[in-house]
Amino acid sequence: MKNKKKLLLEIKDLKTHFFTEEGVVKAVDGVDFEVYQGETLGIVGESGCGKSVTAFSILRLLDYPGKTVGGEVNFKGENLLKKTEDEMRKIRGKEIAMIFQEPMTALNPVFTVGFQVSEALMMHFKMSKEEAKKKSVELLKKVGIPIPEQRVNEYPHQLSGGMRQRAMIAMAMSCDPILLIADEPTTALDVTIQAQILDLMMNLLKEFNGSLIMITHDLGVIAEIADRIAIMYAGKVVEYADKKTIFHHPLHPYTLGLLTSIPRLDMEMKRLNVIPGMVPNPLHFPSGCKFNPRCRFTTDRCKKEEPPLIKIEEGHLVKCWNLDKVEKEVKKGFLVGV
Amino acid sequence: MADLLLQVKNLVKYFPIKKGVFRKTVGWIKAVDDISFEVYEGETLGLVGESGCGKTTTALTILRLEEPNKGQIIFDGKDITRIKRSDMQKERKHMQIIFQDPYSSLDPRMRIKDIIAEGMLTHNILKNTQERYEKVGELLKKVGIPAEYMDRFPHEFSGGQRQRIGIARALALEPKIIMCDEAVSALDVSIRSQIINLLKDLQEEYNLTYLFVAHDLSVIKYISDRVVVMYLGKIVEIADKKEFFNEPFHPYAQALISAVPVPNPDYKKERILLQGDVPSPANPPKGCRFHPRCFKVMKICSKIEPKLKEIKAGHFCACHLYDK
Repeated sequence: MKNKKKLLLEIKDLKTHFFTEEGVVKAVDGVDFEVYQGETLGIVGESGCGKSVTAFSILRLLDYPGKTVGGEVNFKGENLLKKTEDEMRKIRGKEIAMIFQEPMTALNPVFTVGFQVSEALMMHFKMSKEEAKKKSVELLKKVGIPIPEQRVNEYPHQLSGGMRQRAMIAMAMSCDPILLIADEPTTALDVTIQAQILDLMMNLLKEFNGSLIMITHDLGVIAEIADRIAIMYAGKVVEYADKKTIFHHPLHPYTLGLLTSIPRLDMEMKRLNVIPGMVPNPLHFPSGCKFNPRCRFTTDRCKKEEPPLIKIEEGHLVKCWNLDKVEKEVKKGFLVGV
Repeated sequence: MADLLLQVKNLVKYFPIKKGVFRKTVGWIKAVDDISFEVYEGETLGLVGESGCGKTTTALTILRLEEPNKGQIIFDGKDITRIKRSDMQKERKHMQIIFQDPYSSLDPRMRIKDIIAEGMLTHNILKNTQERYEKVGELLKKVGIPAEYMDRFPHEFSGGQRQRIGIARALALEPKIIMCDEAVSALDVSIRSQIINLLKDLQEEYNLTYLFVAHDLSVIKYISDRVVVMYLGKIVEIADKKEFFNEPFHPYAQALISAVPVPNPDYKKERILLQGDVPSPANPPKGCRFHPRCFKVMKICSKIEPKLKEIKAGHFCACHLYDK
C-alpha cells in the first residue's frame, strides 16, 4: 500500500543551528522523515525538542541567528534549500501553507481579516481586489465563520480565539496548498473548539487530498489524526513509525515514557509513570544518546556512543541501543490499566 | 463520610465593565453567578470548565482575593464571607493557592528561601530565622529540590522546578486546603506527571484537601474524587468522579468528555461536535446558558433557567431533560 502512495516531501538529515553568543544551539540536528500525498505526519515532542524549528526550516522562514546548515528538504523531488528567495515565495502559501499556534500574534492586527485572506490570492493567482474579496467571503463561509460578508471587514481583535483560528485556516487554504504545516494549531483553544477545528482541518484536507504535518505535544490529538508519527527529543527524531506501532509497540524508551506518563480518559491509571529529570539544555547536550540521563535502560554504551536510527522493519525506525530490553518491557504490557 | 471543610453557598461575583471618561459602569461580567458546592476534608474536588467559565474566579473568591458580591463562604464551620481583612489574613494560613504560571507567580527578586518563608514570617510561625530556613530546607526536600538551592533566585530554575517551589510555599503553613489553579497546565508532558504524582503523595502524607481547577479532563479524571462542571458562571453538574465519567448527565458535560482526544488509536467513540463559541459572560443567553449550543435543546430551555437538582444520590445536574 505504501508503495502506491506518492512521496510528497522528504526530509533528509536536516540540521538547523542557532548561532548565539553563548554558543551554537543545535535545535534540529539530523532529522529525517517523509510525508506522502494525502497523509498526515505527526511530529510529537516537548518544548525545545526542535519540532517547530523543523517546520520553519522546511519553509525557510528562519532568520539570523538560526540557519539551516545541512540536509535536504525535497518537496516534489526538488530541494527547497537550493531555491532562491523568489522561488520560495511562489511556494509559500501556494503549495505549502502554515498554520501557527497563536492566531492573535500570527494575524496582523492592523489589517482586516478579509485583506489577509485575499493577500495570497492576489499574489499567487493575480486576482483583482474585488475577486479576491469575493473568494475570501466564500472561504470564510467554508471554514464555518457565521455572517462572513460582515466578518470579512472586521479586524482580528473582533473575533474570538476559535474564529481567529478558523480565519487562519481560511488563509492557509486559500490557494489549495498540497501540503499544510500546522504548528500546535489547537493548543491555545478549549477542547470543544479544538474538536471543531480539527474536524474542519481534516475535512478540508480530504477534499483535495492534501497532506498535513501536525506538530503537537498532545498525544491524544496525534492518535486521532496522524497516519505516521515522528517522536522528537533534543533535536533528533528518536522514533518514527505508523500510528498503531507507536501507540501499541513503541520501542524507544522516551516514547514508552511519554505514553505511560499521561493521564487518560480511556483507562483507570493507578499511578502515572515518571520520566525523571528534565529536558536538557540545548547548549549542553549530554554526550552519547541525548536521552541517556533520563532513561531507565541506560548502559555505558549509551553514555559514550550515540545510537543511529535503526530500522526495525519497513517504516519503523528507532534510535536506541537497548531495543531488546525495551521490547521485553513492551511485551509485558506497558500500560498499567484496568 | 468525611467532614465538611468548605461550603460555598449561592456565591456571586460580577466584574463591572467601565467605559468613558468618568469610568461609568455600563454592564457586568457575570463571572460566577449563584453557585453552591461543598468540599470535604481530604478529598480532591475537580473544578472543570472552559476558559471564561468562572472556575478561577471561584477559587480566588473563596480566598477572598476577589470580594464576593453575594453569597456565603463557610470554611471549617466559620463564615468568612464578611470578616475583616486582618481576620481573613489569619484564615488564609489554612487556605493556600498554587498558580498556573510558574514564571509570574514567584517574585524574581527574592531568593527562594525567602519566597517560601514569607508566609511563616507573616503568620509569626518560627520566629527564629535559623529555624525558619531549616524548615524551608525540609520543605524543599519534600518537593524534590535539594535544600542547598535555597539561596538561589527563581530564574535559576526550570518551569517544573518552579512549580515545585510554588508547592513548597503553599505547604509551608501546613494548610488544610490548597487551591490548585491550573497548576499543571503549563508544564510539559514528562514534567506534568512528576508534579501530579507529587501532589498526590503530599495529599496522602498531610491529609490535604485540594480544590483542583483545570480545563484538562484527563488530568481531572486522574486526580479528583468528585467533579464540578462549570459553564458560563454556573454549575451544570456535580458528581462522583466514576459516576461522572461513566454517565455524564448534562449535555455540555457529555460533549466535553467526547471532545477530549484519547491517546489510543483503537479507542472509538461518538464525538459530539458543539456548534459555535462560548457566549460572552457579560451577556449570557436567557434560560439555560448552554441552550444556543445544546444538541438536545427543547422549547423550555430558552425560557426558564434549570436549577441544580440531585438526580441520583450525590449526582447533581442542572438540565430540563431531567425534569419530572
